Amino acid sequence: MEKALLYKEWKKTRIFSISIALVAIVLSAYIMLKAGRSFRIAGMEHLWDVIVNRKQFIFKELKYFPIAAGLCIGFAQYFPEIVQKRIKLSLHLPLNENKVVMLMHTYGMGVLLCVFFIQMLAFTIFSSIYFPFEFMLNSLQTIAPWYLAGFVTYMFVAMICLEPVWNRRGINSLLAIGTIYLFLLSGTPAAYEHTMCLFLIVSLWIFPFGLLSIKRFKEGKQG
Amino acid sequence: MQAIVQCKNLTHYYGKRCIYENLNFEIPKGRILGLLGKNGTGKTTTINILNGYLKPRSGECLMFGENSAKLSPETKQKVGLLIEGHVQYPFMNIAEIEKYYSAFYPKWKKEAYWDLMKLLKVDPKQKLSQMSCGQKSQVALGLILAQDAELLILDDFSMGLDPGYRVLFVDFLSEYARAEEKTVFVTSHIIQDMERLIDDCMIMDYGRIILQMPVKDLLENFRRYRFKSKGISAFDHLKDLYHPVSIKGQTEVYSMLSKSEVAKLLSQSGINDIEIKEEKLTLEEAFIGLTGKY
Repeated sequence: MEKALLYKEWKKTRIFSISIALVAIVLSAYIMLKAGRSFRIAGMEHLWDVIVNRKQFIFKELKYFPIAAGLCIGFAQYFPEIVQKRIKLSLHLPLNENKVVMLMHTYGMGVLLCVFFIQMLAFTIFSSIYFPFEFMLNSLQTIAPWYLAGFVTYMFVAMICLEPVWNRRGINSLLAIGTIYLFLLSGTPAAYEHTMCLFLIVSLWIFPFGLLSIKRFKEGKQG
Repeated sequence: MQAIVQCKNLTHYYGKRCIYENLNFEIPKGRILGLLGKNGTGKTTTINILNGYLKPRSGECLMFGENSAKLSPETKQKVGLLIEGHVQYPFMNIAEIEKYYSAFYPKWKKEAYWDLMKLLKVDPKQKLSQMSCGQKSQVALGLILAQDAELLILDDFSMGLDPGYRVLFVDFLSEYARAEEKTVFVTSHIIQDMERLIDDCMIMDYGRIILQMPVKDLLENFRRYRFKSKGISAFDHLKDLYHPVSIKGQTEVYSMLSKSEVAKLLSQSGINDIEIKEEKLTLEEAFIGLTGKY
């Protein structure tokens, strides 16, 4: 049953899932080629100066990709469920309703996790070839909140789409914008080094929000 | 007769608007029960409460003895649901959607689905998004038939269907439900279709159920009576005469009483020596007689 539900999610979102993966590959290639070009044209010394003394981050083009990916997969997954209240079909399946929603979340998070993991791995390998360990660690600490923001965006999209009342959707959207903004407050490399734990807690706290929307849907809240 | 669904003292409001108060009804096992009512009387509200998509302000619905708001997966397996508008997944084709649902139901009968699909003469790889409303209705029906559910709940099945598909839908469902002794709870705006399908009818008016009885009994006993009278004020208050209307001296009333009983009642109200014409009714006419034209 679980496999069938995941298959349905794949059928529904495969174009978006594949597109996100392709954009991730193209974006990663662009960032690495651009960095490689800088090595060759400006030289490593200049690049080091830019990175260390001027606190510039060479993977900064990556910043909004995880949020865009979270938005995209979230809408692809949950928007069709609210059209004609199609979510009723999933809730009527002979499975625990919370489990149905959690499986849907697991699929979306799984797609994001795969894409983000491969991208992070590519950047880690790239950094470890050209830069010392400290830089690699610094890069990961810089991009980790962006990836977390991608997951948080996805969870908020699920919550907003599944919410049955428009006013509440508005409030949830404001809450989402405020929360996601926190993850992007600073562009300084490794600025979130000491607050990552807090960000992880926020992300985990948001995970079951979709269940609240489903509870309200089941109660027949309207508006 | 054993009841598969029991709704007890259901009360629901949308804001301050009362839909109904203390509504009670049962769906007996093995019967096809049609819920008839004008727009806004609470048909879809009732279906939503039954399926756990709406929490009533008070009261409860029991389905196979379980509260409908918290049905176990085992009970959900016994309930086939057709959502208003024959909603299904447009991104799947007809073979994929059959395979998808078969994973959830151990008693899945794929022949029931494919027999119906053969009638449509569509390619198994045809996507639902590229099908007409009528074809989609057959896919949705085929899926709930293959589920082999004990109880089928169909919300406004005739919505958007042309006469051909409506007849096909009704014939297939009726034959299947009677052959397999299934319990069916159905709503539709088109009462002619219901007449061909249902065993029992439950007629709702604003805030209450007017009656629940076998269609055969209703059509045998409920009559329209026409006679000449000057207005309706003399008998407008009589509860056994439904919705009297008088246009240019031609009066019509509906009643469960026999012609002689109606004549006696009218005579007691001071209307004597009139010629009463008795008319048999279709279900649609009976529905209008019970709920009124307006």
